[in-house]
Amino acid sequence: MTNADFQILLPEIVLAVFAMAALLFAVYTGKDKTAPMLTWITAAILAALAVWIGWNGEGTNAAFGGMFVDDAFSRFAKVVILIAAAAVLVMGEGYMAKRNLLRFEYPLLIALAAVGMMVMVSAGDLIALYMGLELQSLSLYVVAALRRDSVKSTEAGLKYFVLGALSSGLLLYGASLTYGFAGTTMFTGIVEAAAHDIPLGLLFGLVFILMGLAFKVSAVPFHMWTPDVYEGSPTPVTAFFATAPKMAAMGLFARVVHDAFGGVTADWGQIVALLSVASMFLGAVAAIGQRDIKRLMAYSSIAHMGFALMGLASGTEFGVQAMLIYMAIYVTMNVGTFAFILSMQRDGQAVTDIGALNQYSKTEPLKALAVLVLMFSLAGVPPMVGFFGKFYVLQAAVQADMAWLAVAGVIASVIGAFYYLRIVYFMYFGEETDPLDHAMAPAQWVFLMASAAIMVLGVVNLLGIEGPATAAAAALVN
Amino acid sequence: MEITILFAPLVGAIICGFGWKLIGEDAATWVSTGLLFLAMLLAWVVFLGFDGETRQIPIMRFVESGSLSTEWAIRLDRLTAIMLIVVTTVSALVHLYSQGYMANDSQFRTGESYRPRFFAYLSFFTFAMLALVTSDNLVQMFFGWEGVGVASYLLIGFYYRKPTANAAAIKAFVVNRIGDFGFALAIFGLFYLTDSISLDVVFEAAPVLAETQISFLWADWNAANLLAFLLFVGAMGKSAQLFLHTWLPDAMEGPTPVSALIHAATMVTAGVFLVCRMSPLFEFAADAKTIVVYIGAMTAFFAATVGLVQNDIKRVIAYSTCSQLGYMFVAAGVGVYSAAMFHLFTHAFFKAMLFLGAGSVIHAMHHEQDMRNYGALRKKIPLTFWAMMIGTLAITGVGIPLTTIGFAGFLSKDAIIESAWGAHTSAGDFAFWLLVIAAMFTSFYSWRLIFMTFFGERRGDKHTHEHAHESPWTMTVPLGVLAVGSVLAGMVWLSPFFGDHDRVNKFYGVPTHGEVRHAATTGGQGDTVMIGASDSHDDEGDNAAAGDHEGDPAVAGWTPGQGAVFTHPDNHVMDNAHQAPKWVKLSPFIAMAIGFVTAWVFYIGLPGIPGKLAAILRPLYLFLLNKWYFDELYDAIFVRPAKWLGRFLWKRGDGNIIDGFLNGVALGVVPFFTRAAGRLQSGYIFTYALAMVVGVVILVTWVTLAGGSH
Amino acid sequence: METLASDYLPILIFLAMAVALGLVLILAAVIIAVRRPDPEKVSAYECGFNAFDDARMKFDVRFYLVSILFIIFDLEVAFLFPWAVAFKDVGLVGFWSMMVFLGVLTVGFAYEWKKGALEWE
Repeated sequence: MTNADFQILLPEIVLAVFAMAALLFAVYTGKDKTAPMLTWITAAILAALAVWIGWNGEGTNAAFGGMFVDDAFSRFAKVVILIAAAAVLVMGEGYMAKRNLLRFEYPLLIALAAVGMMVMVSAGDLIALYMGLELQSLSLYVVAALRRDSVKSTEAGLKYFVLGALSSGLLLYGASLTYGFAGTTMFTGIVEAAAHDIPLGLLFGLVFILMGLAFKVSAVPFHMWTPDVYEGSPTPVTAFFATAPKMAAMGLFARVVHDAFGGVTADWGQIVALLSVASMFLGAVAAIGQRDIKRLMAYSSIAHMGFALMGLASGTEFGVQAMLIYMAIYVTMNVGTFAFILSMQRDGQAVTDIGALNQYSKTEPLKALAVLVLMFSLAGVPPMVGFFGKFYVLQAAVQADMAWLAVAGVIASVIGAFYYLRIVYFMYFGEETDPLDHAMAPAQWVFLMASAAIMVLGVVNLLGIEGPATAAAAALVN
Repeated sequence: MEITILFAPLVGAIICGFGWKLIGEDAATWVSTGLLFLAMLLAWVVFLGFDGETRQIPIMRFVESGSLSTEWAIRLDRLTAIMLIVVTTVSALVHLYSQGYMANDSQFRTGESYRPRFFAYLSFFTFAMLALVTSDNLVQMFFGWEGVGVASYLLIGFYYRKPTANAAAIKAFVVNRIGDFGFALAIFGLFYLTDSISLDVVFEAAPVLAETQISFLWADWNAANLLAFLLFVGAMGKSAQLFLHTWLPDAMEGPTPVSALIHAATMVTAGVFLVCRMSPLFEFAADAKTIVVYIGAMTAFFAATVGLVQNDIKRVIAYSTCSQLGYMFVAAGVGVYSAAMFHLFTHAFFKAMLFLGAGSVIHAMHHEQDMRNYGALRKKIPLTFWAMMIGTLAITGVGIPLTTIGFAGFLSKDAIIESAWGAHTSAGDFAFWLLVIAAMFTSFYSWRLIFMTFFGERRGDKHTHEHAHESPWTMTVPLGVLAVGSVLAGMVWLSPFFGDHDRVNKFYGVPTHGEVRHAATTGGQGDTVMIGASDSHDDEGDNAAAGDHEGDPAVAGWTPGQGAVFTHPDNHVMDNAHQAPKWVKLSPFIAMAIGFVTAWVFYIGLPGIPGKLAAILRPLYLFLLNKWYFDELYDAIFVRPAKWLGRFLWKRGDGNIIDGFLNGVALGVVPFFTRAAGRLQSGYIFTYALAMVVGVVILVTWVTLAGGSH
Repeated sequence: METLASDYLPILIFLAMAVALGLVLILAAVIIAVRRPDPEKVSAYECGFNAFDDARMKFDVRFYLVSILFIIFDLEVAFLFPWAVAFKDVGLVGFWSMMVFLGVLTVGFAYEWKKGALEWE
């Protein structure tokens, strides 16, 4: 334990210390009155850390004897996580303040969740993995139930907590099996134990760990919490759920299967493929029945996680690259979409029914166009960037001789296109209804437009994320 | 100059078709007409000044793909030169004629613009036809081939408000597809075997092809025969030969100038041109040539018999065209390509004139086409009458027997009949007799047309007759020009086309027996066309040289493809024809005379006879009237099963299975699962936990079964 | 697979014995015991008084809050024991690690105190 170790861990330490200091500061001074300020400061620090990590990071560094790994992969994931967290904080601030939900704990919990997520994607050891995971999860349980006086919100938090505990149990059980059969909690040791031939016990350990992680990425059949929690949580929290933690869980997923079980690709590949297919189809099919846009986005995220898992299922370096690109695109699209959902109000009341979007293009042509772009992109219609994300993962699947998986993905995306296009249909051809409010917070407007613009302009070279993604994949898979 | 000829019509088509709104209808149509006359002028300059040497004029790179490398080039030789004047002359005159004929068309509503479209199509057709005849490789020719097909389709269906016109256009297109398929297969085959589509390469490879076997469908075939046959299938489609002829009579639904240009003078002769163009290949494909002779002779006979009883003036001429094309194929089939081209050349004049004359009659009679409603029009439309008379004299082959004085058809048709006789084969004899009989029928139906139209009593609507009037100058001038051609074309160009062997060879730029001999004797002193061949021959004389030719044409300097047409050294048909006995030479004239007399008796002398005869021989009459029931037969064999299949695939295959499947999935299966997923999402935490546990069980089972081998 | 099974054999035996013993005791009571119920015997308490309220009454949420806070600090102390025992071996790093841990807990404690979680009213 040296200075060098702390050096590597510095971003996480900074964030954690800030969170604790801000907690004490707020609680001893103005309490909730400081919340807006803390929100902005937290967002700024998150963004600054993203820049710092993105710019300064170099090479592969292991801290604490390999428990914590800082490499191109973790940096890629961390940058996405931090930017998403910052974006969600900024665009949700007005919403929360208006509904009297802006407690000073909210930004700090987000910050602590971010610390947990950063530890997750950097984990090189089962213990570190679990610590990061729990830090993240516990923060999320709390923010899910942030609206304490709402039955739905508390229900969401409680459900999330109980099922999360169950999944943690599964994960811990898998971890203990793995430890028992590998004799170590270090990924570097596990990968040796599971080099080519994997003992049955270790295989079971792998399966249980994967199931714990599948809960975090809300892959079918561990997805059941997602719609209820998305619906029940305050919308900014939902936006957060849909973005940063997904990236973190996916990163951790990739970390575990490649760093710890990189020698037995075929064994976990089929499990991941199974989760992927189930997620894609259930996400696509179930979303059709949804009229609530938050629930709809929940199923949408399930389907998208299925696609990201498809990249992982291929078990190749290119698959990881495809997954990272897919996740980055997914997070961008969701930031934009939730920026719009946050602005959906009628007479100051939040509206989440998609029927409210009828004839939206008449009153708000520009915003409707932006949403159209985002929906097309989510559906994977070329030439939007979302198409290229899907294209990457399909390519990865095909290259790994999993053509059936790719075909299933295409079919699922065709089914899934329905509900995205239905939103577009409502906006442009729907029946006349009471229009939504005109006003939109500037931050939300900026994020909506920026996200839509990226979906169009990104076709040029995906705005250069390919290079970092390649480097990240190369760092992870070797 | 050649490039100007080729592209002037295209420029005209583009200006006329796209620019008429800028420059006005009249200006647009006159621009295209003027450009055609320019092309005609240049074509005649090229033809008259042409020395017979094959030249290639590259225009641009065309296709570069793998070993396929072709240029878009004009191949200028005698065949091309002949076709250039035929196409441009007839086309220019038809353009001019159309200025009058299409001036006020009752098919279109007042104020509608149809003339620029018509002229653009005509000009586009001319361009495609010129592209066809100037092609230097097979793909280029195919381009022209399909181009004229499209133009033909557009022009047959020009009266798009008429369902029959649309049906006829589709029929023409579909029937031509069969022929085109054969042509395409032949191109593929040639490319497969020679690795090139360039005409030069293909011609040179012809002797090799004759000794190559190729496996096709169920058997091995001689490559030359198979490819020649496939080419002929293409020609059959375009030239409306028997079995693929059904589209041509229906194509008369198009405006009459179109019939004159496309379905008489130019496009339908493309098949004959193709066979002549590919003569180096056909010369090595004896079996294919035999088939050509049989098909040609039967077409000539069949079409003539049907022509006997038709009452629609245009249909009569259409069957006549079909029949005359049969003549040309017989000539090509027996190996006298120049006779085929001769008839093609003369036929273009008098058949175009007949059509234009018929158009003039129709124009005068307010679009009445049934000859039974004509009669005694001689006085009303004298210019047209005389033009038609000349045309009829030409097609029936009137001339002074045993001399070379006569109308165009006299010389060219007799040349073909003599050639058929001169083949000295069973196919040739068969063709000879059928052609003589067909000549008699030709005479009969042609005179019948004249008599019914211009002589006798007025029949039909009196009002129409009273308003019958002579056509404007734009229509009569082309008739006059063509009349000159019909009279003189045969006499002027007899000797280059069908004269002395050497004269013909010189005309086509083919090195003759004499020249080879000459080269041999002079030992390379003279500037001969032959290179390398001269040294192998000494002064031994004709027989030895001839023997050598027979043994190996290529070594003897008879490279196929030198000159416009190629005749095998064994091919002495033309010489035989010249030495035909007098009765052979007289036979077509006698047949013509019989036909004329019969027609005169039937329609002038004793007008009651045709009706009685038709009553007595009713089955035969109906058989002929219904065109041998070909349409009904094809309808039963091909059309109805195809329609049934189409309907089956549409309603059952597409409608029930594909649409049904997709709709079923989209409206039945997916919503079912959506509802199921909705029910599963009960909101109760134990359901959720149960789902997770079920997932655990499934996954653990899965890996145990799938990965249990470890 | 064989070694796996044999490794866990003692546990299996234990499990089997536990289940068997449980069953034997319960079944023994059912089969052997003499049963002569009378109202006095089946009443809630043979001596004392009847319950005047439902035993499963709602507790004030504050009880839970206090108990949860208690558990947190209870565990903290439990964590301190092994640390204290191994204090000589973990060295300076171990010492500061625990200090950081306690520091973090103290932050939490200060927060809940200031937040009013420890006040009953």
